[in-house]
Amino acid sequence: MAEENKWKEAELRRDDIKKLLENTKQLAEMYSEIIGIKKAGWENVLRSREKRAEKEKQNG
Amino acid sequence: MAEFSALLTAKAEWKPHQIAKAGDLATLASAATALAETVKSTLSLASAGMEVVKLLATLQNINPLLMALDALADEVLKQIQDLKEAGYWYLYVDPYYEGNVTPTQKYNYGFEQLRNKAGKRIWEINDGSGNWSDTADIPTLAQLNEEKAKPHYTSPRKLIPGGYDRDNPLQDPLRSSADGGASKFPTFTTKEVIKEFVKAFDDEGDVPRYKLLGAVSDAPKAGEVVYDDDGNAFTGWDPKVDFGLELFDMGQASEDGSIVKNYVAARKALNSKQSVGKPNILGNTEFVGGSGAIAIIIGSHDFQSFYDVFNQFSKMFSDIPEFASDTGKNLLDALTEIVTPNPVTVKLTQVDTKYQSFVVGDIIGGKIYNSIGEITEIVEGSVVPTSMIGRKAVGDTDDEGMITTVMQDFNMNETERWIDMEVIVNPIRNIDGLNPWITGDMVLEMEKRGESGNPEIQDDVFPNYVFKGQDTTELPKASRIYPKVAIVAMEKLMVLPDSTPPDFGGIKIKDIVPGWGEFFQILENFVLQLKGMISDSSAFIQDMIDMIKQVEAFLEYMIKLIDEFLKFFQITLPSQGVYALYIPNQNGGNEGIQSELKNATGIPDLGYAAGLLFVGTEGDKLIAGGGSKNPIDLLALVLGLL
Repeated sequence: MAEENKWKEAELRRDDIKKLLENTKQLAEMYSEIIGIKKAGWENVLRSREKRAEKEKQNG
Repeated sequence: MAEFSALLTAKAEWKPHQIAKAGDLATLASAATALAETVKSTLSLASAGMEVVKLLATLQNINPLLMALDALADEVLKQIQDLKEAGYWYLYVDPYYEGNVTPTQKYNYGFEQLRNKAGKRIWEINDGSGNWSDTADIPTLAQLNEEKAKPHYTSPRKLIPGGYDRDNPLQDPLRSSADGGASKFPTFTTKEVIKEFVKAFDDEGDVPRYKLLGAVSDAPKAGEVVYDDDGNAFTGWDPKVDFGLELFDMGQASEDGSIVKNYVAARKALNSKQSVGKPNILGNTEFVGGSGAIAIIIGSHDFQSFYDVFNQFSKMFSDIPEFASDTGKNLLDALTEIVTPNPVTVKLTQVDTKYQSFVVGDIIGGKIYNSIGEITEIVEGSVVPTSMIGRKAVGDTDDEGMITTVMQDFNMNETERWIDMEVIVNPIRNIDGLNPWITGDMVLEMEKRGESGNPEIQDDVFPNYVFKGQDTTELPKASRIYPKVAIVAMEKLMVLPDSTPPDFGGIKIKDIVPGWGEFFQILENFVLQLKGMISDSSAFIQDMIDMIKQVEAFLEYMIKLIDEFLKFFQITLPSQGVYALYIPNQNGGNEGIQSELKNATGIPDLGYAAGLLFVGTEGDKLIAGGGSKNPIDLLALVLGLL
């Protein structure tokens, strides 16, 4: 057992924090993308309504 | 001297630690769940507002993304749960801050021996006919024992750290620290750190302690059944006795006669934790069962490298309170002060200009208290003649020849030979540390005679200063060299200098994690508002679009912030100077870890070291990706030791 356990010079990392940060970033990016699509949808709705209103106005 | 005595304190203590604070992460976890759900429901609602053709196309694009988002939220949640479960004990062996261990004194006090200009010690040799002469050649032990040679002490004799060592007279106390010579920095070796790690398991008094909350009369009566955190029943309760684990009463929820359904919500805490104690399972420190450890030692053969590695290490582990920089002086500040002590203002009085006044660049030292420093500035306007009023008897003869004696004040410093001045001094470490400037101590000019430290290490060699002219005190008056001299009037407290960037204050996990929680909370509120605004009105649709734009801007800011944090945590601690020992889960309990620590090999004995030991005990649940029941394995994974 003693042979297995040896002190080693180690390059320590904090993967816990890194991974959590990376995942949160990814979540935020994806969410951003989705609400972007949603925004585009609402903009379409708004535009088509305006168009319709304009058409109705033209048709008198 | 002062510094070393301050380092003499109690002992290293076990403390609890979680990779990330569970309380903060709980906010994040609940917000993340809510977010995932809200995103799904708002999107389905939003799709109702879209034109049918566009909607079909959009949904096709959005579905895989939505699924990925869902999976990601699950992963974040799982990760948080894992981290929440991972609790450890940690032990910090620290010789340098509030010093919970004592660095060994690497020097002896002895009479100061004269040194020549090259720094070699001066010896007196008897020529056999009773004549003594000086030489820098080291005599033999036989010559010293037969008193045919002796060290040439300063006159008057002065006891100094690193002075003549009667038990080891041939070796220069100022030889290289690599050969066992005196070091200016307080040394604590890697072996000593390991010894402290091992010793900490033997401390019989270091057990977890819980004290009764509230009055004895309010607690359940002796002999009643009480419960632990998991709801397991315990007998043997006595409100007057301290127990080693957290205990609960069933609480008042059964007042109406019904059965307690949710014991966690209904229970009432009976005691609260007073001390953490060494690693234990349900309060038992002598357990035989699964436990594992990770020991980390920062060690170096020179203090500067130790300081550099420690600096990075403390940033990396700023979620451990001792390394956090939010409460006054932290560990790193303490080390910085050892490397570069803050300048002090010393008020000098009776500076005797007969032997010249002090100037910038002079090295001065206190005669009794061994303070040393370099004058970096003479405070403008501070140089004034010393007020020295004496009283003398003056005989006054009247016309009848009668003499009347009267006492009169007179200026003893009429020629302004003595002056007062305020000087700013950069303190210099002596072998016994930094010594204060004590009022009344005589201050003399110093000069370099030899060096101490290890010449093979950069920034480790320090000049050895002695009082100027101390080797001429036995010569005839005309040949003597007199140093500049003054008396310390007082040491003025200096305003602490501003901290040198990069300041780590803003990048602590403690700060980041609640920030995340808040981020999700704000995001969720935004989404909830969006949901409430679903309407046919064009004006509302415009509002909604504007709000989405705000959310997008907020997310962009958040992503940038995360990138900044990531940049820092991408850095791995250099392997040089950091030694790690990973003891995977084993069944020998604390004793097992102790013996593993004792027997592990492969670490050099370095002069400057501090250590951090994490211990985890086996639990019931599988963690670390389902591979282990001991959180220590998760820690090993995240630290990159696996």
